[in-house]
Amino acid sequence: MLLRNVFTKTIRDLRWPTFWVALGCGAMTGYFALLFPTYSSLFDFNAMLEKMGPAAKLMGASLGDASTLIGFLHIELFSMMLPAGMIAFAAGMASGFTAGEESRGTIDVLLSYPVSRRRLVLEKSLAIVIGCVVTAAVVWVFAIVGAALSASELPPDSLAAALVMLVLLGLAFGAIALAISAGTGNRGAAIGIAVALMVAMYLIDALANVVDGLNTVRPLSLFRYYMGGDPLRYGLNLADAAVLAAVAVAFLAFSVVLFERRDLAA
Amino acid sequence: MTAAIETTKLTKWYGRSRGVIDVDLVVETGRIFGFLGPNGAGKSTTIRLLFDLIRPTGGSARVLGLDVHRDRLAIDRRVSYVPGELALYGELTGRQLLTYLGNLQGSVDGAYRDKLIERLELDPTRQIKSLSRGNKQKVGLVAAFMIRPELLILDEPTAGLDPFVQLEFEHLCEEARDEGRTAFISSHQLPEVEHLCDQVGIIREGRLLAVESIASLKERALRRLEIDFGGSVTAEAFANLPGIRDLRVDDGRLNCTVMGSVDALIKTAARFEVHNVRSIETSLEEIFMAYYGSGDGIAAAGAGEEASHAAA
Repeated sequence: MLLRNVFTKTIRDLRWPTFWVALGCGAMTGYFALLFPTYSSLFDFNAMLEKMGPAAKLMGASLGDASTLIGFLHIELFSMMLPAGMIAFAAGMASGFTAGEESRGTIDVLLSYPVSRRRLVLEKSLAIVIGCVVTAAVVWVFAIVGAALSASELPPDSLAAALVMLVLLGLAFGAIALAISAGTGNRGAAIGIAVALMVAMYLIDALANVVDGLNTVRPLSLFRYYMGGDPLRYGLNLADAAVLAAVAVAFLAFSVVLFERRDLAA
Repeated sequence: MTAAIETTKLTKWYGRSRGVIDVDLVVETGRIFGFLGPNGAGKSTTIRLLFDLIRPTGGSARVLGLDVHRDRLAIDRRVSYVPGELALYGELTGRQLLTYLGNLQGSVDGAYRDKLIERLELDPTRQIKSLSRGNKQKVGLVAAFMIRPELLILDEPTAGLDPFVQLEFEHLCEEARDEGRTAFISSHQLPEVEHLCDQVGIIREGRLLAVESIASLKERALRRLEIDFGGSVTAEAFANLPGIRDLRVDDGRLNCTVMGSVDALIKTAARFEVHNVRSIETSLEEIFMAYYGSGDGIAAAGAGEEASHAAA
């Protein structure tokens, strides 16, 4: 029964968004895994990337070897498409956790039951963690199946490591969006700022490959920690993962504090 | 005995705009208390302060003897609330919503809940977003009553209810009172609550002006009367009657406002040939304006017999 508590109710609220995001990301990844042999027989990706020079460096934070499926997925999906999808999902949903209840006006009834503001934020946040993990798991399955069908080599553990980083990146941005919406009650501002931050951080990290001056600010970009350790090749970098997790937890704590202090919208 | 609600100098400013100012309100347990005031007077602000949804600028509030902020969850277990702008999860059916809220509460007597659904004639299988305002209100009322709270706080609960349901709602309130529980009901319309409440508090422009028993308020109710006479009458004949105000007589038609009993006026009018009498009970708004419209009114209310505090 999904109406037991705020956590399960949020799972219920998130089931269709999660379904579609997981399906979209999964299908996209599966498609690339399935068709990789065809693509690589038609094009010499590494040669193309070389010709593109600095422009290619902008497309992938750290260039993989496009002649392998894992390198191909890195450039095609993990550098931009998947993080954008995961961040949009996490931030889009999290921004509505408290602000959505406020703008719909359901917060009055909800909080008149024995549910503290803190528990409200934490239980809803736990639900989006599940949503992101499910999405990543679906991507993993589609990728593995696609690779198996096309007889391409795809190390399942490296893929899992990259997906762990993807989830953590999504949750970090989700927590940022949550903090803004919990602190202001303004969902639009929360989504807008989170997306602007994502674009800025992405650009800093990508441009730092070609513009030396940006290397000083590069640690400020969460994308640095996301793929900086190249988990697709080297596995999980615990230090990088810890940074993303710490950002997520810090902003979650921040959300609770801000939400507990505020006058809630009528 | 602990009061159901007790506020001390409760004050809320939204920046520079007024919420409520220095509200000292005591609601004894086992009563049906009407919280009356025009729209925008601060009724919902007061209620939302009691639920810790907004925080006071000054003063304090206790519900069932507990601090509204510190003892929040303990209060939530014993008090229920139907907000004025009732918003519920539209995607759920009535039954699903009641299940969810019951689970949040912990335990709910399912048989009692189903009886309430029956009594209010709620169709619990329909999605809430497809319900009319009145039917949505029924869901809120079932949710509020099903936990058998010690205190019900209902913000304009009868809005949109049809007369039958309104009657059933009143019975529910009376049953609660008979069990020693308390209902706190806000309204901007005196007629809606006057036969239900034992006592009313009147709030205007953020200030609690008076707490009075319904009986004493009714004594002071104003009626506008219009009498058509067969022949000509003079204003002088009526001018000195007790409680008469705004007297105007022209062309055989008398217009006036009467405070309290109309007995003297009717007996005087009976000396003439009367063609028609029209009595218009004034709205609460007009009573407010008459008694509390000016600074004098506030002072007068303070001097009133049951003013400013419920007799403890």
